[in-house]
Amino acid sequence: MSARLNIWRARLFSGPLTSLVTIAIFALIVAIGWPLLRWAVLNADVSGATRADCTSGGACWVFVKQRFGQFMYGFYPVDQRWRIDLWAIVSIASVALLLWKNMPRRGWFALVVILIWPPLGVWLLGGGFGLQPIETRQWGGLTLTMFLAIYAGLIAIPLGILLALGRQSRLPVVRLISIIFIEFWRGVPIIAVIFLASLLLPLIMPSGVGVDRLARAVIGLAFVISAYMAEAVRGGLQAIPTGQHEAAKALGLNYWKATGFIILPQALRISLPAMTNEFIALFKNTTLVLVVSILDLLGVAQASLADPSWVGYSMEAYAFTGLIYWLICFALSRFAKSLETNPGQSRHRMQDAQ
Amino acid sequence: MDGRNKSGHDDASCIRLMLRRLLYDAKIRDAIYQIALVMGLVALSVWFVRNASQNLVNAGIASGFDFLWRTSGIDVPFVLTNYTAQSRIIDLMWVGVVNTLLVTIIAIIGATLLGFVIGLVRLSPHWLAARVAGAYIEVVRNIPLLFFILFWYFGVIAALPAPRQSISVFGVAFINNRGLTIPVPIDGFAFRAAAVITVAALVLAWIAARAARAERDRSGKTSFGWLAPALALGAPLLAFVVATLISTWDVPVLRGFNYRGGFVLIPEFAAVLAALITYTAAFVAEIVRGGVEAVPAGQSEAASALGLTTAQRLRLVIIPQALRVMTPPMTSQYLNVLKNSSFGAAIAFPELVSVFMGSALNNTGQAIEIIAITLALYLAIGLAVSAFMNWYNARIRLVTR
Repeated sequence: MSARLNIWRARLFSGPLTSLVTIAIFALIVAIGWPLLRWAVLNADVSGATRADCTSGGACWVFVKQRFGQFMYGFYPVDQRWRIDLWAIVSIASVALLLWKNMPRRGWFALVVILIWPPLGVWLLGGGFGLQPIETRQWGGLTLTMFLAIYAGLIAIPLGILLALGRQSRLPVVRLISIIFIEFWRGVPIIAVIFLASLLLPLIMPSGVGVDRLARAVIGLAFVISAYMAEAVRGGLQAIPTGQHEAAKALGLNYWKATGFIILPQALRISLPAMTNEFIALFKNTTLVLVVSILDLLGVAQASLADPSWVGYSMEAYAFTGLIYWLICFALSRFAKSLETNPGQSRHRMQDAQ
Repeated sequence: MDGRNKSGHDDASCIRLMLRRLLYDAKIRDAIYQIALVMGLVALSVWFVRNASQNLVNAGIASGFDFLWRTSGIDVPFVLTNYTAQSRIIDLMWVGVVNTLLVTIIAIIGATLLGFVIGLVRLSPHWLAARVAGAYIEVVRNIPLLFFILFWYFGVIAALPAPRQSISVFGVAFINNRGLTIPVPIDGFAFRAAAVITVAALVLAWIAARAARAERDRSGKTSFGWLAPALALGAPLLAFVVATLISTWDVPVLRGFNYRGGFVLIPEFAAVLAALITYTAAFVAEIVRGGVEAVPAGQSEAASALGLTTAQRLRLVIIPQALRVMTPPMTSQYLNVLKNSSFGAAIAFPELVSVFMGSALNNTGQAIEIIAITLALYLAIGLAVSAFMNWYNARIRLVTR
């Protein structure tokens, strides 16, 4: 016990200056933390259903409770919300199974999930073919945030890999086109891209062919993020020793076989942390669809503040949405970090061989 | 493979053979791939352009850049140029560029300073201070920037008192929920002169510093080393103090429900700036940490052994070496600030995307031209930023044989 006490004394009170800094920071933490604690927990109202139930002067979590459905599902019809639940459960279960290293036939499972589940998911959320059709304008909240991030990511990852390979290609035209594509999308603001997609996509399609406004946002986001993904993958490609290329060639493999079976599996493993970080950035930037009136989680929270019966409860809405964003991004960034510190077995083997 | 063809091959099989050789020749195959790719892209673009021109004709919108010289008719609440609603659309575009640059430059400076402090605190031996800085970084980095902009704008600034109950700063500047109203000089001449003096003093200081270093290298003595800092700090300070004293000031006064006179830094400006600085600082802090950690521990130990204090050790030994590691990722962050300044459009801060891709586009309908100009402007400014940072990077790079 006293040993632990000594550690803390060394950490916080090792000298006069250290002690002074410690006390100052403690004072600051108390000055900020205590009112916050009183507001968020001690004086908060949780029970009830209307603004009249918020009497204690602290946070009015009743507001968040009443709006919870909208924060999660947007303006999706209440009796159809089971479709979103099912979509979320199947998606989470598939990802969990994909991350389980010892799953039998993991490769086949991954292929099936990646090919079958995205179109099925669109059908499940959007309806048609037996399900009640639900227009994308009714989608919203966390559902929409997740949808934007996942579908933009699904387009961006293969496109990014192709662009990274294109940038490394020995064909000058392919290389030039890849470089222009990557540098262009990395050089312009995402908000401009979202405007661009929402204005330009309907314009360049034959008259009469409409592009759903949510699809426009997904395509815009996907293009930008594919450029960043391409640079993440390029880092991985550059880390592959030339011996690997030479060995593949010596085995008589052609370009696509060598890339698909030898180079890419190793490169992707190296670039996975960087790709995850790009995905976090994408996830945070999905909030920008707000500017074309698509209401994701942040958009629904913002819209809920306009409700006259709940005026003045913006802090509760921000605290709640901020926490959700933080939890998701923090979990993802921890995942990226764990990939960095625990590289796969084969990477060790590769390093040993050098 | 030629065994079959050695004896009596006819023309047809000869051509077939040549064709096959062509298809299996790597160079020719590469060329065919590339030509096919280019032709595909060209076909796709032609198809897009044809659709677009057809759609534009249907909508009755003429293409071309003539609209830039039309009167804009758009009021902008935050203007540093002499733009009014009677000005041309190209002047409106310029307002957007100036406001974007203003936010970007201030945010870059603010985020660099704050980020350096947080990054160094994160590395400080004080356990608690390091943890607090780490918590700041982890919280801020994992929340969207737009969240912070909305939070500052609708959560913090909207909660400030109304103009009548303004927070007064020495009775000349006033903070309320309509922004920060500051006094401005009625005639800006003195300040323009001060700015010129500052630039001149900085140039002289640079020359003095070089001369002092040359003198020290030659004679081994530091003779006039004080001159450069005195010029760089003293002359501008003096110039601005004098300018402040001799100018007549337009001081904001409360009239009715709001302040008249002075210059209003609108809430949108403050919200974008506050969010950009605090958000980017977290990323800068991580870059600073990475840079300092990349300096071998032996350098720090050697500096201590020479008897340098902590501040000297950081300033003279650690940071100059860390800067080399930090410059490339800092360039990316500065470019991010430029691009992220467009988030101001979400709360209608009149920056480039907001006034040009928003207001001007709504008024004129010239979608293609306006989008092209906006993207070109961002790419151009971004290229200028990265060119400057690359020049700086080349200057501080480790020189090896």
